[in-house]
Amino acid sequence: MQPENFYYDNKIVRNFGIATIVWGIIGMTVGLLAAIQLFSPGANLHNQYTTFGRIRPLHTNAVIFAFVGNAIFMGVYYSLQRLLKARMFSDALSKIHFWGWQLIILSAVATLPLGFTTSKEYAELEWPIDIAITLIWVVFGINMFGTIIKRRERHLYVAIWFYIATFVTIAVLHIVNSIELPISAFKSYMVYAGVQDALVQWWYGHNAVAFFLTTPYLGMMYYFLPKMANRPVYSYKLSILHFWTLIFIYIWAGPHHLLYTTLPGWAQSLGVAFSIMLIAPSWGGMINGLLTLRGAWDKVRDDVILKFMVVGLTAYGMATFEGPILSLKQVNSIAHFSDWIVAHVHVGALGWNGFLTFAMLYWLIPRIYKTELFSKKLASFHFWAGTLGIIFYAVPMYWAGFTQSLMLKEFTADGMLKYPNFLETTLQIIPMHVMRSVGGGIYLLGVIVMAYNLFRTMKQGSLVANEAAQAMPLAPIHTVVKESTWHRMLERKPIQMMVLALVVILIGSFIELMPTLTISSNIPTIASVKPYTPLELQGRDLYIREGCSNCHSQTVRPFRSETERYGEYSKAGEFVYDHPFLWGSKRTGPDLAREGSKYGNAWHYNHMMDPRLMSPGSIMPAYEWMLTQKLDTTTTAAKINAMRTLGVPYAPGYDKIANRDLDKQAQKIVENLQADHIKVKKDKEIIAIIAYLQRLGMDIKANKTAN
Amino acid sequence: MFKQFTENISAHQGYLLFSLGIFFVFFVVIAVMLYLMPKKHVDAMSDLPLVDSDDTETTNRF
Repeated sequence: MQPENFYYDNKIVRNFGIATIVWGIIGMTVGLLAAIQLFSPGANLHNQYTTFGRIRPLHTNAVIFAFVGNAIFMGVYYSLQRLLKARMFSDALSKIHFWGWQLIILSAVATLPLGFTTSKEYAELEWPIDIAITLIWVVFGINMFGTIIKRRERHLYVAIWFYIATFVTIAVLHIVNSIELPISAFKSYMVYAGVQDALVQWWYGHNAVAFFLTTPYLGMMYYFLPKMANRPVYSYKLSILHFWTLIFIYIWAGPHHLLYTTLPGWAQSLGVAFSIMLIAPSWGGMINGLLTLRGAWDKVRDDVILKFMVVGLTAYGMATFEGPILSLKQVNSIAHFSDWIVAHVHVGALGWNGFLTFAMLYWLIPRIYKTELFSKKLASFHFWAGTLGIIFYAVPMYWAGFTQSLMLKEFTADGMLKYPNFLETTLQIIPMHVMRSVGGGIYLLGVIVMAYNLFRTMKQGSLVANEAAQAMPLAPIHTVVKESTWHRMLERKPIQMMVLALVVILIGSFIELMPTLTISSNIPTIASVKPYTPLELQGRDLYIREGCSNCHSQTVRPFRSETERYGEYSKAGEFVYDHPFLWGSKRTGPDLAREGSKYGNAWHYNHMMDPRLMSPGSIMPAYEWMLTQKLDTTTTAAKINAMRTLGVPYAPGYDKIANRDLDKQAQKIVENLQADHIKVKKDKEIIAIIAYLQRLGMDIKANKTAN
Repeated sequence: MFKQFTENISAHQGYLLFSLGIFFVFFVVIAVMLYLMPKKHVDAMSDLPLVDSDDTETTNRF
């Protein structure tokens, strides 16, 4: 048999690399802007499109799907071709994948600031973009499996299994968590409600971390780290164990995001148990990575790329140790809703994803441009700026998290809340938030220096768009010796590998999701809980549009410190009409589950106009545009109909008269405001948001009064 | 001693143990498989990233 000549496609790798750098800078800059708004609300530029609630999802989407997403495709397209000794299956599909993904990101940049959002974290994009993501993901899958099929290497290296598991699991997660009922081109309602929606969301949310931020990066680690250190992975057997146990266990861990909520207790316990078990495969992977450098630690002293890898892996180890600890109920009761979680995710994102991405870029770009890195000194500067940036980011956030949580839980000797005003705790941690932005700024500076360094590197070299390679073709299958173990056989059967990975992730998904989705006794109903009025429903959609749930939770946990502060703890039956659920995951401001009737309408009006009028020192942005913008009531009928389709018991034909009720309720609020000398027309958005806020928790209060 | 456990387990805890059991079986299967895997194959697989494109060494023959 003669060796075959072929060419690796480096141009697509370069394109994804440039996209990674550009979107990285954009996503982190938006993050910095959002961080500054948490101590200086005026930094929203007095503009609704750049206010925290709308740009925080833009930041998370940009860094996860644009920065990390493009980095994944860069690393996969480079390593897949070389591990399979084949060019990508189709240049056309590679191009469609690249441009399609960039268009999806651009549509996110356009729609999120406009307030088109589902409000579900890391799945905020509306339904047309969800469909586009599905199509482009399929294009990626066809291109990957096409390459695998025409490969010149019989066995699939462990990195490729991680890519296959990533592909199939993200597809499942994305589809299940995006089942929405469209109302208009950019508005939809989730089919799930309340507790069920929360469970699906965090099954998705946690596994977006697992299968978008972790498994593809582990695959790339298993390829790039041996290349960088010029030695094979420490233990290939450990990598196999790592792979199967990680994908098996990770899928179960989602409910640890919902501890002490109304999610059934058994689901919470299941999430905790598997989260703790996750330490084993996660650390197995980290140790396998670090020990790959055995005998090469002297190289780490001089080689900045290895430095990035070592700190990246260490950050992975810290985050994956901290994750299981955070899932312990006792720890979670302090950490959840606080800045501790923000610190935790940023150790993972900045350390693990960021540093591995930088290492890959520094390693790849000079190679595909057949040149040396422009400046090792600048790369070294980037390493130190990045490391210090992470420390200056994370330490103040840990400090802020502990401080605020403990303050919120503190009682006086008389049994009263020591800090009954939530704002006191916010003001206490403002210096920490300032320091966090400094840390983020240092990290971003390092990335900008990297961009300069890499663009100069590209300029001094020239891209080898098609890199010549040679390999023996695959021998016909009948000449291959019978495999001695079934896993060895599996390593050369990609489709079976994908099906098995799918089965493994579906086991946990089914066991965990199905009972809550199908058994009604898991969600006890409450007779006094009624559907939202049309005006409240419109107000709720404004709450979603403004991203209020980024800072305010709507679920009271059964702690005395919370029931004293907010009111009765939440019940599952309260949320049965909530498409989507709005529990939130962070309390930058107080919980709003029992907000109804706590203050008068005039208080809310003035507070939305300028929060500092009512709460001096508040960091909430002013929503003055809601005072002047007209509420769009043309959508009311469609919304009522959609809700009825989803099982909300609006009477047949109610959609036709809903706006009449909406007007009546608005008129009442306007008259009430007039009594406080506030003149406002009833068709303004502020009226709807007041109606919604005044409704929160009222069903339970009504229940108590009736009893 | 076991009576103590079996009598005090509620349906929910049984659910947890069942899930743990599935994982345990899964883990044992992988462990056995890894034990049986020949060293020659493992070495060849772990060398895959280090084999340059112009090198004709592959795992195809193993």
